[in-house]
Amino acid sequence: MNAMTHEEAFSELAAVALDAASPEIANAVRTHAEACPECGPELASMEETIAALGTLVPSGQMNRGRSAGIRSRLLMRARAERELRSAPVPGPPDIARGVASLTGQGQRMTPGAQRPVTGETRTFTPPESQRVRTDARGSGRGVNWYAIAATIALVITGAQMLRMTSERNRLREQVAALDSVAPAQVSDSAAPMIAQRDSMIAAMTGPDVKVVPLMNQNARDPVGRMMWNRASNDWIMVTYNLRPPKPGMTYQVWLVTADAKISAGTFKPDAAGKTMMHARYALDRDALRSVAVTEEPEGGMPAPTGPMVIAGAA
Amino acid sequence: MNPSERAPSYSGENGSNAEDTALIRRIVDADETALGALYDRWVRSLYSLVLHLLKDPDEAEDVVEETFWQAWRKADSYEPSKGAVSTWLLTIGRRKALDRLRARKRNREDPIQDERGFSDLRSTSPDPGSEAEGSELREHVRAALRELPEEQREVLELGYFSGLSQAEIAERTGQPLGTVKTRMRLAMQKLRAPLSIHRGAAQ
Repeated sequence: MNAMTHEEAFSELAAVALDAASPEIANAVRTHAEACPECGPELASMEETIAALGTLVPSGQMNRGRSAGIRSRLLMRARAERELRSAPVPGPPDIARGVASLTGQGQRMTPGAQRPVTGETRTFTPPESQRVRTDARGSGRGVNWYAIAATIALVITGAQMLRMTSERNRLREQVAALDSVAPAQVSDSAAPMIAQRDSMIAAMTGPDVKVVPLMNQNARDPVGRMMWNRASNDWIMVTYNLRPPKPGMTYQVWLVTADAKISAGTFKPDAAGKTMMHARYALDRDALRSVAVTEEPEGGMPAPTGPMVIAGAA
Repeated sequence: MNPSERAPSYSGENGSNAEDTALIRRIVDADETALGALYDRWVRSLYSLVLHLLKDPDEAEDVVEETFWQAWRKADSYEPSKGAVSTWLLTIGRRKALDRLRARKRNREDPIQDERGFSDLRSTSPDPGSEAEGSELREHVRAALRELPEEQREVLELGYFSGLSQAEIAERTGQPLGTVKTRMRLAMQKLRAPLSIHRGAAQ
């Protein structure tokens, strides 16, 4: 829309203050008001008037628990974002290596400039052909990795850490029971998957696991969790209900410390919005400040540039 | 009194805008504890407003969270010369609530709720004793609203509560667009006068 004359803008001030003007008109009026000594104060005054009308509404009281939850989420996200934006970025050569796609098989992650690669990282969705088969007649019974992960993730919430040992044992018993159904019928090709599964369960249920709930702006509950086994240096991230990144974009995970924003790789959720990532990386046990996921161009970036999708304070 | 239990108020009335402005400065400096303090000061007023607009507690809570998050992200855009922090927050929240009302309308989920008007805004506080800070202002505003000609109040109500554009208000009321604009402007000017007096007395 072309620039407005003073008279045109002045006649629209009330509508703009009331948010009853079209976006085009509102933008034009605000642009004019920025530089107009008459319209600027007039618009500010009208907006004060509108705000004063808001004081007349009936007093509503939010549920205390929900209000506390909103407050807590806001502060957690703010802290995570502050640390994401303020931590220095490691130098380019190491960062370039550090941006590894986690969507491929067995790709390595080099999360920090100072630390060596100590393991592998990849999504943990076994292809159909590799699923464990326990039915003697060949009917498939796939191991539901997400279900296991989700179960474990739900188990490992802050207040439930004390229950972790018993839950770990229970899970292990369940896994053992599954394995004992027809061990002889498990194909050789499934053995690595079973080992991997056991490793994952051990990593997520160990006695020294730190859990970081990952939140987004609109969700009341976490939409993901990062589990960090500080004893084994395993990192496992589970997300749910994540929308796919925009075309040409990907999600990138950042481990934020006081000294660095460490790329933990890129990923794309599956069609159901779920992701599971596993990495191994040594970090000082008190170093983690937050975990964040940003949307970045395909292949990842050396430092966060895009909007934060989910985050959580450690 | 727990700060979060404060009755809806108006920072220009209780002398707290300086405190709010200081909190905004700290938010600009990425101090999340300031966001918590701002939340405690204004969550009740904001929630009351958006709940009244949306009539849906879940949506109102979402808008409250979105509003404070925007305050965190956009704190550097706040300009004290353009009004109090509370005005800024309530304006953000009201716009977000109106966006949702308009989305409902587009989805035909929620016909325009004409019953929401200023006429139901009498003696609405459950705890009159607790809102002395803002009661004088409220009485000024109520008195000014009562003085408005019916046709001006109608235009104001449709814009304030329903998120209708001026063109939509014109269609709804059967009045020419120019008439709607004039009525809206006159209503605003008449409401503003007692507020100016009140602000002047408070300084």
